[in-house]
Amino acid sequence: MGDVIQIYEDYKNHADFLTVYVREAHPTDEWQMKSNVKDDVCYAQPKTLEQRVTIANDFAKRFKYPLPFGIDDMSNAANDAYAAWPERIYIIDESGHIAYRGGIGPFNYKPAEAREWLAARYGTVKHEAQPAAAAK
Amino acid sequence: MRRLLKWAAGVIGLLLVGAFVALSFLAGSPKEVYGMLRYALPHMHRGTLLVGSDAPDARLVGLDGTSHFHIRERTGARPLVLVFGSFT
Repeated sequence: MGDVIQIYEDYKNHADFLTVYVREAHPTDEWQMKSNVKDDVCYAQPKTLEQRVTIANDFAKRFKYPLPFGIDDMSNAANDAYAAWPERIYIIDESGHIAYRGGIGPFNYKPAEAREWLAARYGTVKHEAQPAAAAK
Repeated sequence: MRRLLKWAAGVIGLLLVGAFVALSFLAGSPKEVYGMLRYALPHMHRGTLLVGSDAPDARLVGLDGTSHFHIRERTGARPLVLVFGSFT
């Protein structure tokens, strides 16, 4: 997450950013990870939009998450359209076409590749790390 | 013929057990393998989008839980970096 926030801070004057909150990857009632217990990130898989919105707000507040935010509704339309679960990055160019398609997380989720795409277009930008970016 | 089938079933069974043990070792525990097979693999898809494809649209909900907007509303002026993920 810190990588993405840093990319946002570095390139927000050149590109727009949008985080899309999708279904949980490791909820308590499915495949919970020990690290989630340790970090106190324990949520059941939302059954309603209200529950998903509540968790998304907890996330945004806990990390003072600065990126613009949208939440996939319970039809999971955005997730299905972009095959995004559990985490993935795309870049859409000004003409509305996919310019960068990231791999599927966690193993092929590589924010550095998105940074490279932006750097190739706008040059290397590196600001001081923000406090929120250093949180995780 | 029946004997051959028994051998084949035995070999396949051993291979499956071996694969499960190897995955358990790599993932950390049998529970992790079960979680991956039961909950992760059914939801992980490469998708059909390629570089150059039309970017699909979808309606999203705002953090307030009531407002809505479309991904397409955010495209056009500058490149749009879409970051998908969740808390857990």
